[in-house]
Amino acid sequence: MWYEKVEVKMEGEKRLFINLTKVFFAVIILRCFYLQIIRYPYYRNLSYRNCIRTIDTGIPRGIIYDRNMRPLAQDAPALHLVFVPYDLENPDKEAEILSEIISMDRQEILRKFKKRYANPFDRVYIKRQLTKEEVSLIEENMPSLPGVFVQEGLIRNYILGRDTCHLLGYTGEISEEQLKLLKEKGYKPGDFIGQDGVEKIYDDYLRGIPGGIQVEVDALGHQRKVMGKKDSSPGNNIVLTVDQTIQEIVSEELGDRRGCIAVMDPRNGQILAMVSRPGFDANNIKEYLDREGHPFLNRAIKGMYSPGSVFKIITEITALETGAIEEYDRVECTGEIQVADRVFHCWKEEGHGWVDINLALPYSCNIFFGTIGMKVGVSKMLEFASMFGLGSPTGIDLPGEKQGYLPDKREIDPLNLSIGQGPILTTPLQLLSLISTVANGGNIWKPYIVKEIISPDGQKIKEFSPELKKFVYVSEETMDILKRGLKNVVMFGTASRARIDKIEIAGKTGTVQRAAEELGLGTHGFFVCYAPADSPKIAMVVFLDSASSSEAAGIAGKALKRILIPELNDSTGTETEELENVEIF
Amino acid sequence: MLRYFKRQMMEKGVIFWASLLLIIGVLMLFSASKGVLVKESIFLKQCLWIIIATIAGAFIKKIDYRDFQRIAPPLYFIIIFLLVAVLFSWSSGGASRWIRLGVFNLQPSEFAKLITVITLAAYLAEKDIRRFPVLLVSLIIIGIPFLLVLKQPNLGTAFIFIVVFFAIIYQAGATKGQMISLFLIGIFSSPFMWFIMKPYQRERILTFINPMRDPLGKGYNLIQSIITIGSGGFFGKGFLRGTQTKLAFLPEYHTDFIFCAFAEEFGFIGVVVLLGIYFMFFKSIAEVIYYTRERFAKLLATGILVIFIAHVVINTGMTMGLFPVVGIPLPFISYGGSSLMVSLISVVLVANIKENTIMF
Repeated sequence: MWYEKVEVKMEGEKRLFINLTKVFFAVIILRCFYLQIIRYPYYRNLSYRNCIRTIDTGIPRGIIYDRNMRPLAQDAPALHLVFVPYDLENPDKEAEILSEIISMDRQEILRKFKKRYANPFDRVYIKRQLTKEEVSLIEENMPSLPGVFVQEGLIRNYILGRDTCHLLGYTGEISEEQLKLLKEKGYKPGDFIGQDGVEKIYDDYLRGIPGGIQVEVDALGHQRKVMGKKDSSPGNNIVLTVDQTIQEIVSEELGDRRGCIAVMDPRNGQILAMVSRPGFDANNIKEYLDREGHPFLNRAIKGMYSPGSVFKIITEITALETGAIEEYDRVECTGEIQVADRVFHCWKEEGHGWVDINLALPYSCNIFFGTIGMKVGVSKMLEFASMFGLGSPTGIDLPGEKQGYLPDKREIDPLNLSIGQGPILTTPLQLLSLISTVANGGNIWKPYIVKEIISPDGQKIKEFSPELKKFVYVSEETMDILKRGLKNVVMFGTASRARIDKIEIAGKTGTVQRAAEELGLGTHGFFVCYAPADSPKIAMVVFLDSASSSEAAGIAGKALKRILIPELNDSTGTETEELENVEIF
Repeated sequence: MLRYFKRQMMEKGVIFWASLLLIIGVLMLFSASKGVLVKESIFLKQCLWIIIATIAGAFIKKIDYRDFQRIAPPLYFIIIFLLVAVLFSWSSGGASRWIRLGVFNLQPSEFAKLITVITLAAYLAEKDIRRFPVLLVSLIIIGIPFLLVLKQPNLGTAFIFIVVFFAIIYQAGATKGQMISLFLIGIFSSPFMWFIMKPYQRERILTFINPMRDPLGKGYNLIQSIITIGSGGFFGKGFLRGTQTKLAFLPEYHTDFIFCAFAEEFGFIGVVVLLGIYFMFFKSIAEVIYYTRERFAKLLATGILVIFIAHVVINTGMTMGLFPVVGIPLPFISYGGSSLMVSLISVVLVANIKENTIMF
């Protein structure tokens, strides 16, 4: 050995670390002696009976308000049905009893009962939000349901129900993939988290701190001693830019038609309303999961459609700005035009005759725009389209926004592009942003939906202010011609159904031919507009699946009338009063 | 006879004791893998880690430990870089301690402990700690990784940095005045830290000191951990017969709380034997510290010894409520590749020092 015959000894100071270890180890062994020998009977008993349970008291979420502090979503107390896997005695029989009471498939309950749980003593939810009848039936059957409990908890209540489902989203049980990502932040299986919309994007702010108690139970599962308690505390509240009244009006006007409406303040990008149909019931997700018509799709931001004649706004700007045409240059529309070996039709078979741009836009003449489109060329039009934000996401603070698609210049011909047909795709929100940019003279505001985040004690945590993404320079002359044209679209053009008394509206219709038209699928109808035409305060996009654009214009007209002229509103006086407080008017 | 036995035990080196601990660790992980939470792959993965770490150890065994004195600075900068990288690799908004490398995850904070010790030892081997600038540089060497680890937040490892720092400067010959003033500065600056902290950070510290503030999280672990240890009794429930751990009362019983599983299955007797083995292991390192003539070797071995002692004391202490619950593994026994790798390399370094000491 390397230190052979040298007696192992370490004098004084050199033994410091070893001596310290001796002291620490002595303490640890003493502690073990106490736990494992003196207190052994007590701990053995606890261990045999496995009688420590934790009971969640829920994670309260913050309230979501509209811009005038009217609540749109808030927590409400509810009773849930839970079970403790370890305490079940006869899963098959209990599942059968329960399946009759709560109208849930027996197999589904059994699957929950028999799954292996990481902690078999934690409560697992069977069904949330029990009705009174269910609770009393379960309580009657309590003796034959060991391990099953009714537990107080929370449920999310959406005041406008389906009208805000896409906007606010919904909360749902955390999925396994989400859990993997969020485990480090203290999320647990069975936690409810925001799954879409505002609830999802701002989940971090809305989510409160979970509370619960840890109890020792006796052999029957009854609580004997509270070993620890933690109070829950609510999350932060969120104030939206959305106006509840406008949201209700546009929802009513859209009715049950398949489509969407979005409303924005063109002066700052605040979203005032957004509704998409068909919708779903945020408190009853399961029923809608396999319904037809994609009820979970928020068409305003996730639906992609060709813009149709709405694109003529871009064509007109491109033609005037590049000097390809002058204001009074005329083109004769005979109803059709021959280009190479193809015949291109105007929507009006007999043609519009000689038109200049001041008439072509209101009448939405395809021949006129096709002709000037060929004159300016595809790449110029695409350049202007991308300048106005088509083909890129608007950046709204909602999950899953699509960016649309701007084709390559080789993929599309000028005739189709100039009237917004072919492989060009936009979301309704992008078109809303486009018309807002026209309305305010060239500012592209980033659309946003959350105005403020407020802590439960009323302090402002975060404030979102309008964000100017870009300024697009368009000469005043071009803007004048365009805006005059847009006014005339409503005055005597394709959108005359949108015309209302007292207030002038400017807008543009778009009818989208669908590739499968031959199969009997109708057209899509678009209408984008702003009002009042001379000092725009509100911009709107109406999109209707399988309907005409003039129908869309009609809906927009009715909605704008109710929004802008509240006296005409047939509802009660209180609503009118509230509307006066809306700061944008 | 007894004296012969005692002498036999004394003459065993660090590698012997470390191997013994490693075997106990593998057995415990095997037992853990029979439970509901931990899959067998954990056990196999750890075996694979042992093989990798042994190969790495055999490779390092060939390197003269003095070479580490020269390569300390580059190693130090690499580990600082990795610690910074971990801070910025935000996974879904929460801080992470790992760098992901395919199947395996690397935990730089484990390596940081050893590398910082090597660097500090290399620096102080040639400098006089009693001079103020030297003390200042030493503080910076330990301070950077300390703050980075604290930011993760990995309070346990940060605490170990403090302990190791004091041990090394003590061994390097710092004066009592220096040690006491540093200690006082630390004590008095902590209230200041308290005021600049955000409420949730304070909450975290308070829960750290008193886990019962959070009965659903750390407090739950602690209650279960104490029940588990207590229910082991004098002889334990027997190998593979632990019930508490198998039923997964403790989510981390294969990593930070593996001592509970051991105490449950092997009882009080087992705990005394295990601590005895650790004690012999520490003693064999302490002898190396005493007999080596070289300053670098002495400081390095001291740092390694104190890292091990701190890990064992804090880990076992926290499972029985004597220390705040922190994420610190039990060397050689807890599941985890990074920790195992660092422990084995440390042992090899000590063995190297011992071999080279013959030359004197």
